Amino acid sequence: MENIRRHAPFWTSILAGIALWEIAGRSTSKAFMVPLSETLVRLWQLVSGGQFITQLIDSTILFLSGFVLALVVGMPLGLLLARVRVLRIGIEPYIMILYATPMVALIPFILSLMGFGFAPKVLVVFLFAVFPVLYNTVEGARSIKPELIEVAKSYRSSEWALWREVMLPYTLPYTMTGVRQAIGRALVGMVAAEFFLSSTGLGQLIMGASQNFDTAGVFASILVIGLIGVGLMRLGLKIEQHFARWRN
Amino acid sequence: MNASLTVGAARSGVALSDRLRTTFMPRLLTGFVILLAWEIVVRAFAPAYVAKPTTVIMAIPRVIADPAFLRATGTTLAAVAEGLAIALIFGTIIGLLMGRSPMFERGIRHYVNGFYAVPMIVVLPLFSLWFGYSGATRIATIIFAAIFSIIINVADGARSVPREYMEVARSFRSGRLSTLVGIVLPSSMPYLLAGIRLAAGRALIGAVVAEFFISVGGLGYYILYNSRSYHHNEAFVGVLLLAAFGVGFELLVTWATQRFMPWYRRDEKAS
Repeated sequence: MENIRRHAPFWTSILAGIALWEIAGRSTSKAFMVPLSETLVRLWQLVSGGQFITQLIDSTILFLSGFVLALVVGMPLGLLLARVRVLRIGIEPYIMILYATPMVALIPFILSLMGFGFAPKVLVVFLFAVFPVLYNTVEGARSIKPELIEVAKSYRSSEWALWREVMLPYTLPYTMTGVRQAIGRALVGMVAAEFFLSSTGLGQLIMGASQNFDTAGVFASILVIGLIGVGLMRLGLKIEQHFARWRN
Repeated sequence: MNASLTVGAARSGVALSDRLRTTFMPRLLTGFVILLAWEIVVRAFAPAYVAKPTTVIMAIPRVIADPAFLRATGTTLAAVAEGLAIALIFGTIIGLLMGRSPMFERGIRHYVNGFYAVPMIVVLPLFSLWFGYSGATRIATIIFAAIFSIIINVADGARSVPREYMEVARSFRSGRLSTLVGIVLPSSMPYLLAGIRLAAGRALIGAVVAEFFISVGGLGYYILYNSRSYHHNEAFVGVLLLAAFGVGFELLVTWATQRFMPWYRRDEKAS
């Protein structure tokens, strides 16, 4: 009973949204909007057609390759910058600039230099995802009071102990904020790469549907990518909150 | 913290030269190393049309004097400003209502968070279907990219208005609207600024992506067109300008927060 009362507003608003979508879809032209029921039918056709699943897998591989690469490069580099102060001060402004630069603007260059393979697309996802990780890790490094390191050193702390007791606990929560941002950006990068470089995956699904004026297909693919986005965002928040307990 | 310490210390001449040595020199040196590495790698391995620092710098005067470039920049900036303004007005209204009305908040929270999580780029095919291959699609994309981060931040701000403020307003029998405009809005200003900072970055990305997708004239299309015709240096000047806008806006909002709301410590709300 308690459970029902707690979740009632959520389900009411979801049901209202579904009803609104259905009514809006039925009362406008098919070319503009499709009711939810038709969208779901179309989605089922796409799934049972088999091609949807392979496109989903293609996109997942692209996303993971770029994202994992961004973590593998961004986290150690960020931590190195956190430890070596001169390096951090030197590179900091450039990381901030690249963090604020719209990376989409580089896609035409990547296209003309690297062509239509898999590697340029991974590069796009990587570029979208790596700077939030770096930027936030450096921000975390800045939050470490220099006195902490000085005290640790004056007590002849070993390098390993310094990392375990000071560096990691202070910077990782910030890094995880970066990881959450990177998840969202990598998803945008994935779709951008699939739109503007060689067309594959879920991006190709949307493009194909829109070129064939298959509005139901467009809605179905947006629904799927939207739900993936929401799910990944949740995951990112979980990760961030897990590490946020270290922050004080 | 670091910054305020150094600013305070910079008043004395000795500290200034100290700061020059420990901060500016490493930065200058790093910048030089990055440019040098880029120049060498491109000269050694890439075809002649690929952008490298020396040729990009030489292209700058030519590009800036080019009316087509100025027109493209003006168009994109105007679209971003228009879209941001619309997103700001409606986003603030919706955010204030969400922050102060639990019913309204529960009703639309999942949709706001949901749309915020949707990668903005996927709506482009739909928007181009709705609004055609025109500037309207670009404006719609900019609004979609910007509005949800404003709503989320303003709602956070409106929720965190100190209870005493609201009690004072009530005991003076302030009306709902005047409380909202006179107390809740100013009190959530720092959050609003944080939201604008995020929204501006996303709006810029939205504009460029829309121009790529529907080939409507603007800075993004200028970059696309020039890089396709192997004018990489010219195109890269466009990228530099975009980066300058991104960084400039970030700095402007940080400065405004520190200048007008010095009591507020920026935290990473919904970023």
